[in-house]
Amino acid sequence: MSAGLCVTIDRLGSATHALVQGLRLQVPPGEILTLMGPSGCGKSSVLAAIAGTLASVSEGLVPLQFRGHVQLDGRELTHQPTHQRGVGLVFQDALLFAHLSVAENLLFAVPRQLPPDQRHARVQQALQEAELVGLGERDPSTLSGGQRARVALMRALLAEPQALLLDEPFSKLDAALRTQLRPWLFAHVRERRIPVLLVTHDPHDVADPQRVVHLSAINPESPTHA
Amino acid sequence: MAWALWAAAAQALDASAWQALWADPQTLRAGGMSLWTGLASTALTWLSLSRLLASGFIRQQLGRWLALAPALLATPHAALAIGLVLWLSPSGWALRLVSPGLTGFDAPPPWLSTQDPWGLGLILALWLKELPFLLWVAATQLQREDLRRRWQAEFALAQTLGRTPEQAFAQVVWPQLAARLRWPLLAVLAYGLTVIDMALIIGPATPPTLAVLAWQWLGDADLATQAQGVAAAWWLTASVFGVALLLHTIASQGSLLQGIAQRLAVLRPFRAPAVATHRLGQSGLSLGLGLGLGLGSGSGLAWVSAWPVFIVVYGAVWLALAVGSVSGVWPFPQLWPELFTLGAWQQVAQSASTVWTTLGLAVASASVSVLWALAWLEMAPRRWQQGLRPWLLLPMLLPSVLWALGLYSLALHWRLEAQWLGLLLAHGVMVLPYVVLALAPAFASVDPRQAAVVASLGHGRWVYLWRIQWPLLRRAIASAWAVGFAVSVAQYLPTLYVGAGRFASVTTEAVTLAAGGQRTLMSAYAALQMLLPVLAFALAHWLGRPRRFEKIAPMSAMPLKPRP
Repeated sequence: MSAGLCVTIDRLGSATHALVQGLRLQVPPGEILTLMGPSGCGKSSVLAAIAGTLASVSEGLVPLQFRGHVQLDGRELTHQPTHQRGVGLVFQDALLFAHLSVAENLLFAVPRQLPPDQRHARVQQALQEAELVGLGERDPSTLSGGQRARVALMRALLAEPQALLLDEPFSKLDAALRTQLRPWLFAHVRERRIPVLLVTHDPHDVADPQRVVHLSAINPESPTHA
Repeated sequence: MAWALWAAAAQALDASAWQALWADPQTLRAGGMSLWTGLASTALTWLSLSRLLASGFIRQQLGRWLALAPALLATPHAALAIGLVLWLSPSGWALRLVSPGLTGFDAPPPWLSTQDPWGLGLILALWLKELPFLLWVAATQLQREDLRRRWQAEFALAQTLGRTPEQAFAQVVWPQLAARLRWPLLAVLAYGLTVIDMALIIGPATPPTLAVLAWQWLGDADLATQAQGVAAAWWLTASVFGVALLLHTIASQGSLLQGIAQRLAVLRPFRAPAVATHRLGQSGLSLGLGLGLGLGSGSGLAWVSAWPVFIVVYGAVWLALAVGSVSGVWPFPQLWPELFTLGAWQQVAQSASTVWTTLGLAVASASVSVLWALAWLEMAPRRWQQGLRPWLLLPMLLPSVLWALGLYSLALHWRLEAQWLGLLLAHGVMVLPYVVLALAPAFASVDPRQAAVVASLGHGRWVYLWRIQWPLLRRAIASAWAVGFAVSVAQYLPTLYVGAGRFASVTTEAVTLAAGGQRTLMSAYAALQMLLPVLAFALAHWLGRPRRFEKIAPMSAMPLKPRP
């Protein structure tokens, strides 16, 4: 029984072609592991395997197959549906729901067991932490790129995940915004004391130089899915 | 569906029927007339579609134009044809406008200006009806955010590479768009070749088109003549597939057309890049028009005004139906009726069951089809969806007379003839492909990562569907429902056959009345036939209206990223 996120990938790929083989990742609570590699090497598919979204996210007609294990705080996740895993996910696009206001996007994530006034209080607090006070009723498409990225992260954290996966969360932002957002994001996720896995191809994004895993493409000629 | 076709096929294995078909002196001329009207109207529609889309896209007016497409789409075939007859017939408004002043006519001339022997009236009516359909299908593609952005970027890029806006559209946007319109174009062709209700109203009479002839034979009391009708229906089906195959062969002769394109490209100030020509070659149908677009770009201005003219024609049709439905005594050269009367509408109101049948069938078949399409698009694996797509669209491609025949046999077998359930089944089969066609692009534009995000927030599948996906697709779902409603209202043959004469709909009444002399009552039914779908579209528009968010306070923030 080990705390944190423990991933063993024996094989990840389509029936004919393996993307990732023999990979072991161990992320203790409160730490950020950075997974690096060239595009097409299967970084995003590793996240999809951990979150259990391989079937819905893979772009080709043939879904990728995963053989291995995912454990979170000693809990076996491998065969659980995504919504029961407690694994949060943030993409490079904020993917805010276009028909909901900024506050409703955040409210969507707050656990429904809480009484309504507490749920709304959490949304207000999240808006404060994201430095977006007063913008709650806005159409998400009117926010700037940096504001959207902050809402997306806050939304993921409001669901109280036991682990968080970040899929190139800075890649759509310009250099100045990235340098602003990185420390803000790292501080917020460390505060939660949960294991975090960050995928990127930019060496500047590395959160903790002690915890970096480089992933190389097994066969660069292969059709990519990233 | 397969059963319905099999039932129709079983009746075709009658050698003497085929002999009778060939021996009949009308067959050849009617078949030729079908080919002529179908091909001419399809070619005209395709050509004007490409020109309209080009000038609209280049001048950034497409969004505004396409917003009106549903209203035009909602006008049923029969109502449009009747409205045209009210204008073009010898006693129609067109001649009244200029009589007796210019023509000197005191009485309607003995012209064949509506059921003309050349099929020109039918071609005009088909063109007016099919252009909005293709425009609407194009709109479902152009309203996809991802596609629209990409195409606009590529369009801009092509211009930085030295193309004029017309060339950029013809070489970059149109080939991609045209390839997506292939199936709907085939449906237009099939419809033009096999239409019955429009051909009855405004098509040539001696001889009529083959579809009308087949329908007349099928209604004959003599069994041998009926068998001849079945053979004619199958012959019609064969000609649809023959023509489609021919066009496909021409289209896939990429290398030949590519060579011509490159040669023409050399003649122009620039050389078309190999990729663009190759793409053009791949969808040869679009190539012909790509060239047409490139060469005929000088007349682009004329097409800007084509759309308003089109709207005016539709407006004129609606006006003719409205005035016609309340006209009493109306002697020839006078522009307006001497007497207005609500008698026809009172008569319509008295046969309320007709209206309720129409409404009930339309609401039920549209709703069932939308639910079915939602489930299908949501649950079926993509491979199935692509593999089964041609089968799903089959009802759009096969002659309605064949369908009616097959469905009738099926209904007889299951004892559903003259039953409400049987009618619902018959309408549902015709409505479903349109609904799927309307919903599929919207479904394809949903980002699959959105479902992943929702699941990672701890919500199950139903929460995702109920709170995210369906609300996001609300507009597409509402308009698909309205399209289904309109298609159901416009159904003539399935209602007639499967209803076995016991169910009258607004459409069957209108078409039946078109053959008689009761202009006022016919206009009233046609106006009602048009009004019902328009109301459905208005409802869909209201249901699908975009949400209004809080207005941005002037000082609070300028959006850093420009909105599209």
